[in-house]
Amino acid sequence: MALKGIDVFKLSPKLNCRECGFSTCMAFCMKVAQGDMSLEKCPYFSADAVEKLQRQAMPPMATVKAGPHSLGGETVLYRHEKTLVHKNLFAVAVCTRVPREKAEEKLRKLQSIDYTRIGERMQVECVFVRSHGGDEARFAELAGQAAAAGRCVILHCREASCAAAALEAVGSSAVLDAATPDNWEEMNDLARKYGVPLGVWAPDIQQLYETVRNLEQKGNKDLLLDVTLDTAAKTLRNAVLVRRAALKGGDRTFGYPSIVNIAELAHGDIRLQTAYAAMFIQRYGSVLVMQDMDYAQALPLYGLRQNIFTDPQKPMKVESAIYPLNGADENSPCAITVDFALTYFLVRGELERSNEKVNLIICDAAGMSVLTAWAAGKLSAESVKKTLENLAVERKIRSRILIIPGKVAVMRRQIQQALPGWTVVAGPGEAVQLPQYMKEKAYLTAAHAAAQETAAAQKEQSGEYTFQELLERLPPIHHEDLGVHYRGRAPGSRAFTVIGERIHCISPVIRRAMDERDPGPILKRAAEQIAAGATYLDVNIGPAASDGPERMMWAVKLLQENFDSVPLVLDTANQKAIEAGIRVYDRTHGKPVVNSADAGSRRCFLDLAAANDAVCIALCSADGIARDVGERMKFCHELLERGLHLGMASDDLWFDPLFLVVKGMQDKQADVLETLRLLSQEGLKSTGGVSNVSNGAPRAVRPVMDSAMMAMAMMQGMTCAIVNPCDSRMMETIRSCDVILNRVVYSDSYLEL
Amino acid sequence: MAYIPEGAPCAGRIRTVTFGTGEGAITLGGQNAMPLYGFDASFANPPRAGIAVTDLPPENLPELTRFYEGCETMAQRAVRARERSGADFLCLCFPGADPGGANRSVEACTADAVAAAAAVDVPLAVVGCGNLQKDELLLTAIAEALKGRNLLLFAARSENYQRIAALARDFGHKIVAQTADDVNLAKQLNIMLKGVGVSYDSIVMNVGTAAVGYGYDYVASTYDRIRLAALEQSDEDLQMPIAAPIYADVWSVKEAVAEEADEPQWGSREERGICMEAATAAADLTAGADAVILSHPASVQTVRRFIRELMEGGAD
Repeated sequence: MALKGIDVFKLSPKLNCRECGFSTCMAFCMKVAQGDMSLEKCPYFSADAVEKLQRQAMPPMATVKAGPHSLGGETVLYRHEKTLVHKNLFAVAVCTRVPREKAEEKLRKLQSIDYTRIGERMQVECVFVRSHGGDEARFAELAGQAAAAGRCVILHCREASCAAAALEAVGSSAVLDAATPDNWEEMNDLARKYGVPLGVWAPDIQQLYETVRNLEQKGNKDLLLDVTLDTAAKTLRNAVLVRRAALKGGDRTFGYPSIVNIAELAHGDIRLQTAYAAMFIQRYGSVLVMQDMDYAQALPLYGLRQNIFTDPQKPMKVESAIYPLNGADENSPCAITVDFALTYFLVRGELERSNEKVNLIICDAAGMSVLTAWAAGKLSAESVKKTLENLAVERKIRSRILIIPGKVAVMRRQIQQALPGWTVVAGPGEAVQLPQYMKEKAYLTAAHAAAQETAAAQKEQSGEYTFQELLERLPPIHHEDLGVHYRGRAPGSRAFTVIGERIHCISPVIRRAMDERDPGPILKRAAEQIAAGATYLDVNIGPAASDGPERMMWAVKLLQENFDSVPLVLDTANQKAIEAGIRVYDRTHGKPVVNSADAGSRRCFLDLAAANDAVCIALCSADGIARDVGERMKFCHELLERGLHLGMASDDLWFDPLFLVVKGMQDKQADVLETLRLLSQEGLKSTGGVSNVSNGAPRAVRPVMDSAMMAMAMMQGMTCAIVNPCDSRMMETIRSCDVILNRVVYSDSYLEL
Repeated sequence: MAYIPEGAPCAGRIRTVTFGTGEGAITLGGQNAMPLYGFDASFANPPRAGIAVTDLPPENLPELTRFYEGCETMAQRAVRARERSGADFLCLCFPGADPGGANRSVEACTADAVAAAAAVDVPLAVVGCGNLQKDELLLTAIAEALKGRNLLLFAARSENYQRIAALARDFGHKIVAQTADDVNLAKQLNIMLKGVGVSYDSIVMNVGTAAVGYGYDYVASTYDRIRLAALEQSDEDLQMPIAAPIYADVWSVKEAVAEEADEPQWGSREERGICMEAATAAADLTAGADAVILSHPASVQTVRRFIRELMEGGAD
């Protein structure tokens, strides 16, 4: 938690005595907060104040180990603010009063909870062993048995003799949950002696605070707070106030994980305990003690825990594998989808509901949903083919029918081409339609149609061509005078660089034009963008698996030959296409621009740019969205180093902080702006797709939102962006900012120039 | 150094919405603290547990079949639920109307609704079958037939809110605005409903449901964000009470559905379903639901006990 100058000032002597060398206490305190001055320079801060400030500089909550398990270390009250860090643990309680056989039965039963859920092993991590006083021998015996079961033992007692006996029996995978306002000194000694964390309890929150302070002053910061009181409501209050004080109140005294004895709150009612446990999983219970744990309780509670403690920025993935459903065998058709956990559960659930035999194949898509994975190039004909190879599907399964998600039906032909031995069909658009689709065996009718289409396509299919042959096979380039001329950038101009985004295969018009090599729509869009003032044109030919090089060569020549060698940004996931485009590229107005490399699987695009003396747009990410500013800059520096090493000039690397959609990611916009500022500070060039920001918003809203973001980004030093130049509000904003930033000399007609 | 615990009410307050009639009418909302935080501000109205009563007799759920034994009509099931489940309100549900299933007619379903409403005098909620077009017809017919009963209608979606708005305006019912785990869409739907004349005192939100373990992280964070906006930032467009019909999600997951023969280690299927329902309900109440709708009477009992304990056990 960063110290703020004003926090230091509040605790300062406010004498303005100047002995520290500053004229005012305020000035001194500001420097201390920035880390440029040591607090010791002032002799008049009280010891209390010094201690408080030292504590504020530390993380708000300690991380404590219960046996091998880490607890605590949280920094936020709600997972969406950042992420929760350490999942809660579960304990089953055994007490000294219970007959031996029952206790042993309990220990046996809790060990039977052992299963894997989405790659995580679920077990009852702890045993809570409870003394009732004066039962040293039995307590130690139980503790020893719990330890022998391989669990972290939580020793709950109030007498030092019991504690000592049990600690002897147990060793260090234990927690001594025994300190109270009355006995904390001796329990502290015992805990220190055996090197175990100490649990602290008090009848009210005031005394809990004082007892913890006492322990801290004795030098013990290896603590847990037993927040259990006599009712669930009081316990919740305790748990919340304690956590809030630590994370929001700036008082580290309560910065420790908690123990909640749910078994005691609802003894005998395991269903009510289950409900309480669900509550405390979400609200600040670190160790939850249950009376019992059968699968009926474990399944929902471990599932909830798994959900709550996932990092919101990292999607849950299931293992890439073949999942035979409803008794499917080698002759059952295959359906393939992505490894995003939610998709998997949804699709699997619907397929199971259909009662039809089907082999569900999960492919590696970096945990993204179907559409996101497709857009990011993670779900493609190649990735599907690779999945089938990695899982040895053709060896294990005889059926050659592959159903792909209906949402990416556009990929069907490409996947079909990549898998000539299969019949690839598109499933329904929504998972909820799957039961009907499967029951009606709709995939068989589709398979028949697909097979006929494949046969026709195969007649046209030919082998790979060399570059020269491709060049010769290009259709003649259509030339047309649309009355628009590209004038080029004035040398030395500092005006903002606009890359026009409208020639993009996400537009059905452009996609069709590309497919059919129809120059009309493409030339029209290019003319509009150039007339509106675009400096570069982005050319997106789509993923274009099969004919990428020809497409790119054709598009590059078409645009450059019609518009005075207008400089282009080559935008595709197909490396060969980029290479081919560069080879026919006319460099009159400078180098071609490769869109884009990243610090992950797209590193090779940087190498490509370097090898071909091209500019490279470099995403500050690695196969996904970076989690914060720090990570973005890390990726930027990795790419910068690599580019320089390959002989590129730093000016030929244009870093993209990845503009994010406001809808759903409002809280991350600041990260993007801060990244732009740091890039500018380091003298690096930046760019990005600003219109990402307004994705999904109504038409009327988009130009307003995008222009506002543009102004803010330009303020942070961005000098280039991929935008729609025909958005007049955007262009007006850009021109105005260029004037305000003193990059272009003002004139009353500056908007019309 | 004395420690003074901070308990402070929030700047904003959840609105109140009342459904049902007469003395038994239920008021949801009214609190100005985060969910269940009675120590920050005294509770306004307690959260409520409702039970789902279906038009078709329960199938594949032997535990419910037992509970409703001897009941042949929806009205009889409603009476059974009213007398023996302990639920605060009933939710009349029409899975039989599903065009992909039994495809019962709007007339037949409406007749069932009218009969059930006549047989019990508790507040009523109404849920359709999940098919957008059919539900619009069905809920409109029921709204008209039961005018004056001040129903809680799970009816409005972004695709149909203009027409559903009429059910509040013309027949005096309360509307549930339904979205799926998206703060922005939830806010937008409320604004659109207001724009067509539905007052904010007539709107309850269903911001998305899931069984715990099945993407519950999205539900939890959506609830947290909406409650924080409503209470800490006084965002007026998000200050509606929240109702969560969880029964369908809970009883369709593997944990509640798998036969004991297929998963011998898992034990009693009924117990699994009850614990799954209780855990999901408790999670929703913790996150901010003002009402939850369940299937199993035992879950209702557990949830009501949970609510009572948290309301009453807080005195210092």
